[in-house]
Amino acid sequence: MINHWVFKCKDISYLISKSMDKKLSLKQRLGIKFHLMMCDLCRRYKKQLDLIQKAVSLITSSEKSSDDLITPLPDKTKEKIKKHLDSL
Amino acid sequence: MPATWVDKYGDYLYSFALYRIQDESAAQDLVQDTLAAALTARDRFKGNASEKTWLTSILKHKILDFIRKKYREPIFEDDHLESQSLNDQFDDSGKWKTGPASWADNPEKLLEQKSFLAVVKKCLKQIPKRPATALALKELQGETTQTICKVLNISATNCWVILHRARALMRTCIEKKWTDKRV
Repeated sequence: MINHWVFKCKDISYLISKSMDKKLSLKQRLGIKFHLMMCDLCRRYKKQLDLIQKAVSLITSSEKSSDDLITPLPDKTKEKIKKHLDSL
Repeated sequence: MPATWVDKYGDYLYSFALYRIQDESAAQDLVQDTLAAALTARDRFKGNASEKTWLTSILKHKILDFIRKKYREPIFEDDHLESQSLNDQFDDSGKWKTGPASWADNPEKLLEQKSFLAVVKKCLKQIPKRPATALALKELQGETTQTICKVLNISATNCWVILHRARALMRTCIEKKWTDKRV
């Protein structure tokens, strides 16, 4: 009976990710909670996924990130674009 | 002022595109197309948002168009390899074989470390392109998962799977690089 409520780590890793994109059913949310209470590896997995999301957010929003996360356009390309804009 | 756009916003726009499509020459083309489009439309720019925001929104649409075109084909060869490497991390009963390693005593502090963010940036480039793009698109302001799936031409169900793979692949890549560094 309890098997219906016990998710395997493999399923949990998928559900944790899905919960970041979609609201899961109550059963799934409880299943995750229950599993995470007992499984420190999956707890760690979830923390790492949260960390990655924050890091990717920092990197892709150049406004928030520092200058060394911005990749400069090559000077040649800048010249090419300027020339192109002048021709318009 | 259009004359200053390249110098003022070129690097920013380039980075914005690059982190989402992982393709240097395509990103450069997108910057050029964006500035050219902005030039022709500059009369329509009312000045109610900043120049940067306005240019970014033009770029955003061009990025989505680019991705739509690129991922018109729904099936990719690398999908099979991706799922194989992720399934290998679990035993037959669905439990972790080794499981995630610890990355730091205080994981939150990692976000303040440039070396950690550099590893994350590297991994975004290294994992297969479609999962990487899916993940990066999530960080595009206001894009719902539905839009992301549509643009990448994948069904809703596949969408969750692809995002799951992207995250799992990122995690594995980061762990390898980060824990190697500390040894």
